[in-house]
Amino acid sequence: MQASRARLFKEYKEVQREKSADPDIQLICDDSNIFKWTAVIKGPSETPFEGGVFQLAFSIPEQYPLLPPQVRFITKIFHPNVHFKTGEICLDILKNAWSPAWTLQSVCRAIIALMAHPEADSPLNCDSGNLLRSGDIRGYQSMARMYTRLAAMPKKE
Amino acid sequence: MRVDPHTVSSSLLPLLFTWAKPIRLRLPDMAAAASTSSAAASASPSGGGRGGPAAAAVACACPICLEGFEDEAYLDTCLHSFCYECITQWVSIVASKHEEPLSSVKCPLCKTKSVSILHAFDGKSFTRHYIEQDQGKRHLADAHELISQFYNTREISDDTASVLQYWKQRKYLRRNVWLETWLRREIQALTQDENVEAIVYHIHGMIESFMKAQEKLHTSKQTSPELTREEFRSLLSDTARPFLLGRTARFVTEVELFLISQRNIDAYSRVRMQRFKESASHIAREQDVLPQDRPLEDHYLYLLNEETDCVGGVI
Repeated sequence: MQASRARLFKEYKEVQREKSADPDIQLICDDSNIFKWTAVIKGPSETPFEGGVFQLAFSIPEQYPLLPPQVRFITKIFHPNVHFKTGEICLDILKNAWSPAWTLQSVCRAIIALMAHPEADSPLNCDSGNLLRSGDIRGYQSMARMYTRLAAMPKKE
Repeated sequence: MRVDPHTVSSSLLPLLFTWAKPIRLRLPDMAAAASTSSAAASASPSGGGRGGPAAAAVACACPICLEGFEDEAYLDTCLHSFCYECITQWVSIVASKHEEPLSSVKCPLCKTKSVSILHAFDGKSFTRHYIEQDQGKRHLADAHELISQFYNTREISDDTASVLQYWKQRKYLRRNVWLETWLRREIQALTQDENVEAIVYHIHGMIESFMKAQEKLHTSKQTSPELTREEFRSLLSDTARPFLLGRTARFVTEVELFLISQRNIDAYSRVRMQRFKESASHIAREQDVLPQDRPLEDHYLYLLNEETDCVGGVI
């Protein structure tokens, strides 16, 4: 408990210090609870998520960093490895491949990498996975782009 | 979690220094990497996200708690460092997810497998903590610890009469069936390594063939027992030196004493313990002439305390 607090505080200070270092990731700690964080990430360029801004919710266990944080998308996203309804993410480093050397910042980076490189063979979103697996790249991209526009972009007047 | 560190003796220090060098060399690189890591990260935010968390490493900070090192510990293959407590906690978490006992752990930074954690390095010695120990499956037992402590003290041997008798009466022609097992345990304790089969095979083979050669010589011509003894000692010394380094001379003496005793391992251990205790007071008085790096009294206190369990626990 104490160790996880100390480590999260350390990460918090690091985030404050390097606020402008990575413009694609913005990590915000809950005002009252250091175990709840929100991240705002930009959709990677040259993907259907380009131009979108996605919110992630972090829930951090007391044994962090020995156990991984729980992360889910709050913003709706059409991606084979993200559950369409719950926002749950299927990513090895958040489960059995977790290492305590990951930080919240580097987890965000890994999620951005996952957005750019979907793994259609372990889908949480079967519709999305099936489009990719059947080779319908255009179909996948247009669906993903549509949802990015609907859910992840500021509404234009 | 059971942690039973085995203090590695000063004779293995050359080894440690060859390990320590890369660590020192790496430090400037790590500092450079840390200062450029933020730039590299923003340049390719989506690149290598799954490759590994190494980007999080900051020079001179434990990658697990992100604080300065407390009892800096190294994994034995990749030599990445962590706080001793942090890495042992991680090992126990990994172990709790596996049904079978762990024999190695993957480095949190580079995923290289290591079988032990080296820590408590004080410039002279360090402590080695095997991953396997945590499951209560310790291959280096108390008996090993005792042997190791024994070698740290001065040689105690005033049994020259029976030594000469052994060589004169050619008692070595009677094979000691315990020799190989006994050698294995001694070498395990001296090298702090479980897997010593190659060394045991080598040394045991040398002794066996020497004895066999003596048997043949017996029928043809006679050589003086002193000469045979010298020959044996120098041969054994040459065979063991590459593995046991500074401990060789003492090891040769111990092997000879064991052979002379013509006892089994259990009985011999008891005799050795007795020999040890008797001369404890004698040695304590001579402490001034002994190397001061280890408090000798500690050894004896330790031995006297442990004696009851250990003698019984000897294989």
